[in-house]
Amino acid sequence: MKNTLILFLGLFLASSFTAMAQSENISPARKQAIDSLALEKVKDLSKYIAIIGSKDTQFSEANRVMDRAEELFAPGAEMGVSSINSSEIAYYKVRRYFERLMALNYDRVNITWYDIQYISDLERQPDGRYVGVITIFQRFEGTSIETGMNYKDTTKKDITIYVEKKQTQIAGRTIEFWDVMLGDVRVTETSA
Amino acid sequence: MRLTFITIAILIASISIVSAQGIGSGGTIKDDGRFAASTKQLNQFFRRFNAEESINGNVRFYPGDSLYHNPSLRKGFLQVLFDNQTSGITPALKSQFAEQVMSEVYPQYLSFHREGWFAEVKAEFFFQGKRETANLILKIQPQGLGYEWVIDAVDFGPFRNLFDKPVGDEKDFLHPLSHELGFMNLRRAFQDSELPEAFTGSSFSPDYLSIFLYEMKKGNLRFDTVSDVRFHFFQIEGWYFEVSQFNRPGFNTGWLISSLVKLNPGDKETLQKFIYGQN
Repeated sequence: MKNTLILFLGLFLASSFTAMAQSENISPARKQAIDSLALEKVKDLSKYIAIIGSKDTQFSEANRVMDRAEELFAPGAEMGVSSINSSEIAYYKVRRYFERLMALNYDRVNITWYDIQYISDLERQPDGRYVGVITIFQRFEGTSIETGMNYKDTTKKDITIYVEKKQTQIAGRTIEFWDVMLGDVRVTETSA
Repeated sequence: MRLTFITIAILIASISIVSAQGIGSGGTIKDDGRFAASTKQLNQFFRRFNAEESINGNVRFYPGDSLYHNPSLRKGFLQVLFDNQTSGITPALKSQFAEQVMSEVYPQYLSFHREGWFAEVKAEFFFQGKRETANLILKIQPQGLGYEWVIDAVDFGPFRNLFDKPVGDEKDFLHPLSHELGFMNLRRAFQDSELPEAFTGSSFSPDYLSIFLYEMKKGNLRFDTVSDVRFHFFQIEGWYFEVSQFNRPGFNTGWLISSLVKLNPGDKETLQKFIYGQN
């Protein structure tokens, strides 16, 4: 189902490329298709984060999932994390962030998402790529059976997305399409 | 036409809802309206200020859409774009501002790419082993195929008293016939004086950003973290407002107007100097 959706979106973006290349402006319809593709990536990330954070996940499996999760990001992407008590931001490379998540000492980790998100306009950067930000809200609950510790927080995640024109060869033909990569993520603890 | 728009709007909204539900495949939490109400990005502040999106933010309005810049929608948005809990902006000032912004003959909008707004970023640095706060001013400028944020100025505590040009009788000088002696008296400026800036022209103004970058390149200054971000807007004629982020319980959260000032002639320059730390 997911693959079909991605294929559909890919074809939609590829088919709409010609007009886009001429004007380099992203039409509302195309923007929406790109938004959907970006949300798919964010959805994948949320799924991976839940697996990495779960104590039921074997170490080797968690590492494999971390590799997959890392592939969603553009090179050098960082997570900037701040808590409710401090406005200062701690920066982690994406891999390091996942490793810290895996090392959390909870027996049960439950990560859920609010049914709301906000997608910014796409702005063009100097190198011609487009950049946008998707904002989502995540609820984290960690329970330690031994200590009885139960930690909960709600975070706002502002996720950078890079939208880039790429090419691929299919049956000898060059197909151009728009790809989405995730970039820096700002994680802010909310008062919710 | 209207029916078509409504149908499309519902269709687009339903697509978004499907996507949103998909995010938390392990189960989603229903927002009680607080996150929907929050102005979650500065991008949303622009869109709400201009009435370029639907109430829940799921639909972006473009020129040609019937609700694009719609006055009633805009009126509603403007009411929720103020910090209504702590800022102390009077209702009279707010309505005067809203009236001018939404004027039927000359409505005014914010533009991301137009000059007249900038960011003020408080960042922590280690300077000569000590933690210090710098106030950076950043602005958007066209570059290459798109746009970029650039550092326009810095206000950094340790530099503030670096230059103290004396005035009046206390000011040392090179006498007006120094040239006849091949400026051999330059030693007065560079050797004997602790205030060589006394020998600079009356228009001399230290470029703190260059010094800041120089210290960074020399390895004396190391970035640590960002501690605060706010935005200053001068795009609405005769008005200044500041936008800050409010992370607190309730519905009046996110990026909101935290300060509003009606400008008299000359106020704009004074205020800008103050924000730039040049007063």
